[in-house]
Amino acid sequence: MKRTNLIIIILFTSIVCNAQKYYTRSGVTEFNASEKAFEPVVAINNSTTAIFDINTGEVVGQVFIASFEFKNALMQEHFNENYMESSSYPKAIFKGKIDNFSKDRLKTVSEFDLVGILTVRGKEKKISTKVLVKEINKKLITTSNFMVKPEDFYIKIPSIVQEKIANQIQISIKYELVEKK
Amino acid sequence: MLGIGVYTFYNYVFSEPTKVINIASEFIGQSDEFKYLFTEDLEGWSNKVVEIKGTITGIYDNGVLLDENIYCQFDQNTDLSSIVVNKEVVIKGKVVGFDELLMEIKLNQCIIIQ
Repeated sequence: MKRTNLIIIILFTSIVCNAQKYYTRSGVTEFNASEKAFEPVVAINNSTTAIFDINTGEVVGQVFIASFEFKNALMQEHFNENYMESSSYPKAIFKGKIDNFSKDRLKTVSEFDLVGILTVRGKEKKISTKVLVKEINKKLITTSNFMVKPEDFYIKIPSIVQEKIANQIQISIKYELVEKK
Repeated sequence: MLGIGVYTFYNYVFSEPTKVINIASEFIGQSDEFKYLFTEDLEGWSNKVVEIKGTITGIYDNGVLLDENIYCQFDQNTDLSSIVVNKEVVIKGKVVGFDELLMEIKLNQCIIIQ
């Protein structure tokens, strides 16, 4: 009986220990919607929360729209009030999976496939892109970029400014993930 | 007159967002009081500047945890040398919102008042 109990305890502990997660509270998410001849339309959010389960490959990220920082206060105001309506849709969420990930593979590989769904303003868009992961000083430095369009999320650009905002918006992420203990 | 008008216009159109240090706090008080007010109105506190007194329960690369579930993110240049766990501090920052992934209240652009 005691031996069976011991085996059960060991098994249970190993199952519980298997959920190994890496995370950040201060991930950098940047977007660039600049049109070459005009004023840069760039903003950075330094407060992205992201959690990565390295056993299942599942990732989840959350960013508050109002925390995107622009150099120009007026542009930031228009972004929140007119384009993103951030009081109605305060967050953007990403849920997805990094394919075939393992820390062992990091010795030889750094590029992985990432697929998932990005939800902005209540609208979902499927994202399929590559992500680079490097282990440095016990942190998983994760970077990626992908393109989206304003119309993917029903973001209406008034015709007056249409030529000043790119019709493809580049989103870049750089997350330094540490082990969650 | 025209000069003043142009100057004001220029300032309005081209100014940077105001820094937290220059914005008046909409809440000043203890962390448990803030947590209570926050739970009463989860979305209403977003982007408001608050000043919270609490105990440091965790220290991370970019910020600290106050009383287990208020995360305060500092800017890169902040001097955190005086910060130790269990120390009582007053932090002023901007409410980002409720982080459902980590179940915490998130603040950024934080500065240590004392």
